[in-house]
Amino acid sequence: MDRYKFEDSISAYIDNELTLTERQEFEDYIEKNPDAKSLLEDIVNNMGLIKGLPKVKASSSFMSKLLEKVEFEKNKPSVKVINKPSNTFFGFTPLYASIMSVLIVSFITVGYTLWSENMNRPNQLPNFNGNITANPNIDSPNNNINNDQKFVSTTIDSADTTNNKRTKVNLDGKVNFVKKQR
Amino acid sequence: MMNQLSQNSYMRPLTMDKQLVYTDEELIKRFQDDDEQAYVELVNRYRDRLMNFVYRFVNDYEQSEDIAQETLIKLYTHKHYYKNIAKFSTWIYTIAANLAKSELRKKKTRKVTNLSQMSTEEREYELPAVQPDTDQSIESEFIQKRIQAAIQKLPLHFRTVTILRDIQELSYEEISKIVDVPLGTVKSRINRARIQLQKELKDLR
Repeated sequence: MDRYKFEDSISAYIDNELTLTERQEFEDYIEKNPDAKSLLEDIVNNMGLIKGLPKVKASSSFMSKLLEKVEFEKNKPSVKVINKPSNTFFGFTPLYASIMSVLIVSFITVGYTLWSENMNRPNQLPNFNGNITANPNIDSPNNNINNDQKFVSTTIDSADTTNNKRTKVNLDGKVNFVKKQR
Repeated sequence: MMNQLSQNSYMRPLTMDKQLVYTDEELIKRFQDDDEQAYVELVNRYRDRLMNFVYRFVNDYEQSEDIAQETLIKLYTHKHYYKNIAKFSTWIYTIAANLAKSELRKKKTRKVTNLSQMSTEEREYELPAVQPDTDQSIESEFIQKRIQAAIQKLPLHFRTVTILRDIQELSYEEISKIVDVPLGTVKSRINRARIQLQKELKDLR
């Protein structure tokens, strides 16, 4: 047994809660260590002094004061919740209703603006004046693409290259070669 | 109720059938069924015990009375909170301990000196009238004050268990329920508290 185990076992020894073996160990330890024995004796002595402290009693006016408080508790008016008529708009206070309205209108406005922009985007392609002889299968009256025309959906999948015929583009006179500049 | 709870009536133990003395649990059950005489009997049984416990905890007589009364008021107003799964004493000591700890916490934040502590007036303070010798009575009063001061120096969690065990003489199991810690922790705290008290009271040998 070491000092820590001894100190941890003091109350159990006093309360007679140690096993026979533990008790023997404890008693052997205090025999060999006079300071440990002194500590045990002090603790037992203090427990006796504490137990012998005079019992503090209530004063003679304790009961009458208590009864007064009990009567007060009995007769205390219960807290009544008075429902004041409130100025609310569908259950919301005016300020709250205003703020919510502004937020809702803002969301609707911003949402509509963004949606409109999204819808109008196809009309905003850059200007293009050249003629492109594109896939002749495209179902368009003159195969010209210009700004004024809107894209129309076709029944043909432009990604489908199986039926595409390569057409030669005649660039004669249209391409000016720039001389090397030294 | 004032007629029922007269100064004389509270002195008599509740013996409805003249042969039986009700247990605390039976009394609280009767009180829950609106028998206010049962409340009076419980007050009679516990007021001094509560006073003793709270005084050793807060070391202020007037404050101890207030806390003890508040505990008994809570018993009156919250009687239905008691369920018969634990002892009545466990329940009421738990209320008193919580109120005492709250008061000590408030005291710490307030840092107010109680004028009654500064007063030299004698207060009503009932002590056993065993005082054989003047010198001995002075010495015993000195020892009592030293012990009380040493208890006050203990941390709250040590102080509670020491008072409940060594002064109120409750069992470890009951103390464990009151302070809501495991049994092993209660025993460990009591052990440590006793060692700390020994250091404080070394010169009292």
